[in-house]
Amino acid sequence: MFRQSFRAITKVNRLAGVRTYAEAANSLKLSLAMPHDTIFNKKEVTQVNVPAVSGDMGILANHVPIVEQLNPGVVEILEGTNSSKFFISGGFVSVLPDSSIAITTVEAFPLDAFEASTVKTLLTEAKKNAASSDEKVAAEASIEVEVLEALTTALH
Amino acid sequence: MYRLGAQQIARASCAQARNYATLREIETRLKSIKNIEKITKTMKIVASTRLGKAEKAMTSSRVYHESDIDFFKTAETAAPEGSEKTLIIAITSDKGLCGSIHSQMGKKVKAAVSEYPTADIVSIGDKTKNQVLRSNSDKLVLSFSGVGKETPSFNEASLIVDEITKLGDYDKIIVLYNKFVSSVSFEPSAASIFSKESIDASSKLSVFDIEDDDTTGVLAKVALTNAVFAGMAEGYASEISARRNAMDNASKNAGDMINKYSILYNRTRQAVITNELVDIITGASSLD
Repeated sequence: MFRQSFRAITKVNRLAGVRTYAEAANSLKLSLAMPHDTIFNKKEVTQVNVPAVSGDMGILANHVPIVEQLNPGVVEILEGTNSSKFFISGGFVSVLPDSSIAITTVEAFPLDAFEASTVKTLLTEAKKNAASSDEKVAAEASIEVEVLEALTTALH
Repeated sequence: MYRLGAQQIARASCAQARNYATLREIETRLKSIKNIEKITKTMKIVASTRLGKAEKAMTSSRVYHESDIDFFKTAETAAPEGSEKTLIIAITSDKGLCGSIHSQMGKKVKAAVSEYPTADIVSIGDKTKNQVLRSNSDKLVLSFSGVGKETPSFNEASLIVDEITKLGDYDKIIVLYNKFVSSVSFEPSAASIFSKESIDASSKLSVFDIEDDDTTGVLAKVALTNAVFAGMAEGYASEISARRNAMDNASKNAGDMINKYSILYNRTRQAVITNELVDIITGASSLD
């Protein structure tokens, strides 16, 4: 019995060793953070797709270090074959030389938390306000339109 | 020796005389200490309940702020040599009764001022404002109050930074805040934020592939907001835990005093009764 458990331990150890080695080479360490909450903290993932200002991009491990501003849009996170999608309000992505990626955004929600019909009504209202003569209201509404339009395309 | 003894007797009788006279006084004092204990206990409970939320806010703000710190570290950003324009942002709050948290921040500000004699100061929270006004009133350019009542929000930090950016450009901005170390300790710390020019001049910026030239400018602004927000969240958590500890100590001290005064009160009461009995018995026996 002792020998058996001993063998089990060595097996586990070997497996653990192999896994860390493989992950260090092939995976990203993702932090997806909001000021008031953290969605992921240094979680190991395969690929992250982000809506950068210069165009949507997919980031894999060993990506060249970047700092990019993000548009409102969908962040897609691939862990192996699993994919999870979050809609973010814009922010920053930074990839460091050690394959760690940090996405900072003020707000983020899972994509399935949004309801298409509510988005539609809000969008019509925002479009109406965007034509307002009040400069402040118009500016706020145009941001709203930008976010909501991104959200509409993300939901379809 | 006799004289000494006489002195002692005199002192004892004097103390006794005072005790008799102050039975009521002891009673009122005991009552007020009991009230104080109630208040400090309640404040401790309030702080304890807030602490969980404050710690959560602090942890998430740390993760949020970390990416900026990592970026500056990797790019090896530094303020240009001999830069004149430095801004010190000191973050505390309006409320006291939380130990030495505000005065330590005051010391930190003084140390920072002696390091950067030409720096301007922005204070967040009335407590630092008062200390800065006392020592370096000419350097204070802007102050905010009314923060730190609730868990700090990013919106609050953004509004504050909006006002700060109206002051003009600074080569280097130093954010001073109380860093939360553990529930019993905090540490006045500094975070440095740099301008677009400083970031662009970073020695290792070429490590990063930056496509858009505007990115660093936006990053500089966002990094400042993040630093202020993280500082506020850390400061709030430290303050709440410091207040909890201060109130815990105050309640304990009040408890000790209540014990002491209860014993004193009872002894005095007994002494008064004994004395009255002695008077009555002496009076009665003299009639016999």
